[in-house]
Amino acid sequence: MAGRSANGRHGLRGHAGRTAALARLLHKDCIQLLELYRNSESLPSSPVDGDYLVSIPPLVPQLSDEEKISILHAALKECLRLLEDVITREDAEFSDEDSEYKRKRKTVRDRLGHLLASTEQLLVDGQKFEAKVKEELDGQAASGSFGLKMWIVRVLQDLVHWTGQTSDTLHSMPAEMEKAPKTMSRRTRRGAGKIRK
Amino acid sequence: METVAVKTDPVTGLHSWTWHSPLPLECTSHSAHIRARNQQSVSQWSPLQTIPGWDIPEKSESNMFPQDKVVPVGSNMTFCCIVKEKEDFKEIMYGRQEMSATRLSRRTYAITATNQPVSGNTGTNVICCSQRLTLTGAVVFVGYPPGDEGLVCETRDLASAECSWKKGRDTGLRMRRSRTKYTLNGRDCLEANERKRWWCSSKAWEQSWTLVARNPLGTVHLMDSAQLTDRVHLLAPVNVTAVEVKAWSATLQWSWSVAAYKKLEMVCQLQLFAHELNSTRNYSGPGLSSVVLESLWPDVDYTVTLYCGSKHGFWKWGDKSAPYRIHTKMDRPDALDVWMWMDSSNTGCVFWKPLSVRKSHGALVGYEVSQSSAEEDGWTPVSLPPGNFSYPIILNNGSDITVAVAARNPAGLSQPSTVTTPAYRADSQLSMSELLSTNGSFVLSWQPNANASSGYAVEWVPTGCSGLCPVDWKKVPESDSSFTLNSDSLVAGVRYTVSVYALSTGAPTLLQRWQGYSQEMTPSQSVRELLPNQSGSDVLLSWKATAMENQRGFIRGYTIYLANAAHLELIANISDPEVQSYRVKGLSLSSYKFVVKAYTSAGEDAGATVAIKMEMDTADMLFVGILVPLGIMFCCLILISICCYKKREWVKKAFYPEIPGPKVPGDWSSPQGPLDVKPSPHSLVHIVESPEWDFTKEGLFPVPEEEEESENDNIEVDADSDEPALLRYYNQVVGDGSHGNQVSDSSGSSNTSVDSTQTEITYAGIQSPTSSQGACGGGGYRPQMQSVIGPAEPQIEFEADFQDDGLHAGYKPQCSWQLDSPEAENFSGSLGSPTSVTSSQFLIPESSEEKPQPSNTWFHNFLSGKS
Repeated sequence: MAGRSANGRHGLRGHAGRTAALARLLHKDCIQLLELYRNSESLPSSPVDGDYLVSIPPLVPQLSDEEKISILHAALKECLRLLEDVITREDAEFSDEDSEYKRKRKTVRDRLGHLLASTEQLLVDGQKFEAKVKEELDGQAASGSFGLKMWIVRVLQDLVHWTGQTSDTLHSMPAEMEKAPKTMSRRTRRGAGKIRK
Repeated sequence: METVAVKTDPVTGLHSWTWHSPLPLECTSHSAHIRARNQQSVSQWSPLQTIPGWDIPEKSESNMFPQDKVVPVGSNMTFCCIVKEKEDFKEIMYGRQEMSATRLSRRTYAITATNQPVSGNTGTNVICCSQRLTLTGAVVFVGYPPGDEGLVCETRDLASAECSWKKGRDTGLRMRRSRTKYTLNGRDCLEANERKRWWCSSKAWEQSWTLVARNPLGTVHLMDSAQLTDRVHLLAPVNVTAVEVKAWSATLQWSWSVAAYKKLEMVCQLQLFAHELNSTRNYSGPGLSSVVLESLWPDVDYTVTLYCGSKHGFWKWGDKSAPYRIHTKMDRPDALDVWMWMDSSNTGCVFWKPLSVRKSHGALVGYEVSQSSAEEDGWTPVSLPPGNFSYPIILNNGSDITVAVAARNPAGLSQPSTVTTPAYRADSQLSMSELLSTNGSFVLSWQPNANASSGYAVEWVPTGCSGLCPVDWKKVPESDSSFTLNSDSLVAGVRYTVSVYALSTGAPTLLQRWQGYSQEMTPSQSVRELLPNQSGSDVLLSWKATAMENQRGFIRGYTIYLANAAHLELIANISDPEVQSYRVKGLSLSSYKFVVKAYTSAGEDAGATVAIKMEMDTADMLFVGILVPLGIMFCCLILISICCYKKREWVKKAFYPEIPGPKVPGDWSSPQGPLDVKPSPHSLVHIVESPEWDFTKEGLFPVPEEEEESENDNIEVDADSDEPALLRYYNQVVGDGSHGNQVSDSSGSSNTSVDSTQTEITYAGIQSPTSSQGACGGGGYRPQMQSVIGPAEPQIEFEADFQDDGLHAGYKPQCSWQLDSPEAENFSGSLGSPTSVTSSQFLIPESSEEKPQPSNTWFHNFLSGKS
């Protein structure tokens, strides 16, 4: 986890640095969220049977950093969708009373949205990757409330995993990559040109 | 195996029987077969029917049963865990509790939870775990049936209904499907089902209402029935405004949001909030929307709150309106309470009490004081700022003055209050009685006075106060002849002069006057000027009482203590405060410390201390100090004299032995002629001997002849000497006038003394012949020679001169001293020695004792026993 140390080994600065810091912060939030949920539900710390819900193409070394970020961005996007499903279903099924878990859940959702917006600026134009969700909520919920709870745990485990992957990848990026976010810089240039006209 | 009686269904002709398994049938496979029994005959068993469980190989995944059951608190329940193929089993957890599991089949394990407690927000989790994974689980919801109660329906708009109830005990079931569902008269109660409020609404009023509360564990039915007019709960008035505000009243208007209220006979309650002026007022009328608020106070901020209810069949007060603020207008102030206090026969002060908020009717801007006297026409007005509450009065020619005081605020001037100067009566002119307090208060009563047409005035002021005094008073109606002066207007430890005046159209008349303390305290200061005065063996202690402001109570007396090292010894208690002295008798000569304390009914003060050292009386001192020693001395002298007289022979031997006669060759028995030793009247030398030997002062001085002749005993022989002349020595200078030149003393008489031919010697002691030192001359008998103790040189010269004298003169019976020193200092030093003039031998033999010895005759006679 060397890449998750302060500002990474390459000393990221600027937007990529802020994105990496946000990813690391979100990763910690996700770990705390999972811990809070396990404590509130008296669940054992052993992992839930089953793979990660979200699957992506393997992050082989041949992939460039930009491509890895694009793939992880797709995974995080699916995680956000799953988390929002969790929130909706949880609030509908169970008590809507306030709790520390629910406050942290909102924090994670908000920061995950910010991380997605931030990583989007680091993506390579034209390249689009998609992540897949192996098991949707409906199938799990059929097995009862416990199935819903286990599915929530799996979503939270996915959040921990994919935010960690994203944080590591961002912190391992070389310094020159973040001289100027490509998408952002091009958009900015285009916008600037339009303004000049 | 179980035997049951089963009847045939008359319609279908089939037999049916239901068996409830304590274990979920999914946990493992269950098999059943049946046979018929009719009395003693039994049929064959039917073929075995098996219900397969979820632990069959075809279902390889993990499962737990039952799922999402809702059970009441305290119930028992069995859960089973079916472990998936090729996975081990570790434990089953019920919440946080590890349960003891029973193995039912190869893959099925079961636990039984007994007396289950109420679940949390999301139910109780039952979890089946392997060594490495969370395999499966179930949630059980343990709670209570609905506990709602107290359904009440009412109308707010005189048409629809709103029913509310109390929620009761929490069911503990928060899952959506297990929450309590409500229906009112068969219609879903949306408000309650959404868990917003515990009430339901209905668009139309119905005579009876039924609320059904249902959850998976039970159902509750709540009933209510009432007429609409008996359940009117009015909404709050809106648009409350004050349309007309005056000093003492205001008109309040409002409107209703429901038009049907306009015809409703209603009662309204109006709450007025102001500082110390809170009140509640009731108004009634059909569709009430306006009231006149009477009896308000001027210049007061009021906050008004309004609510109403149905007058007929009153159910409850409606909702309160929003608070509305009213500020009444100002009005002229009330008349002042005025009093006049005279501190002398022609000076005084008019006092008036500040007006309260209720009486000022607006912030005061000042006072107007007017005075008139019989001699002057009209009034002389003076304006004073609002902070003044007194005005000085000076009487001219002793005529009474009438003073009128009025308060002014922006609304105008108050009615003037008048007061006429009362006759000044000093305390000393009255016989005042002592006023005792009751629990810190003075209870006053007086004889009713026929002249008190305007009542009475009770005035109290600190006794002895002058200048700006805290004068206070209270006016009493003429019907009263008593008054209680409360302790909150009195200060403890302060003496008050309380006076009662009769009030009429003229000047107030003093009826009675008292003095008293609301609470007596110990004096704050001790007595003053405490002085001791010794008179023989007595001591008279005198003091003065402390000032009145320090007495803090009526002085009841004094106590006198004798202060010892550790404690005070009471020696007197003077119960009469007028007595301010005390005589302590029979004291011995020693030091004493006395403490005098004044006491009131509250106790003694700290005490004043005075010390005295007893001394002897002057006559005694004279007797003891002088006369007694003198007497003793006199007695001693007499005793010594008697003793010496008795032992005179011994004394004579001891002190005046017989002097042997001179033994000389030849015939000396008959001298050729008498030796004339009579000194020349013109050669006198005074030798002054100091009682104490002082080397720095010489005792021999030449005395002028004139002084000798003046017969003055205290002759001042030398300006440098203050010593008395104790020894007078007349020396016959043996030498001729050449010796006189050697005396260089300042005294001019020295020159004349050297020619003296007669010497008179006073003997201060008796010397034995052996004590003589040296010799006066080389020839002839020299019975003694007193050497001069002094510088060696003069003595040498003296001897040399003596030698010379011996050569030139005839026989000289003695030569005790020669004035030969040429140096004045040496001369004086020689004269200072008492030994230089002392001789233990008589120069004149006994045969010549008839010769007069004027200087020592009585002593010789005494020693020789002659009278």
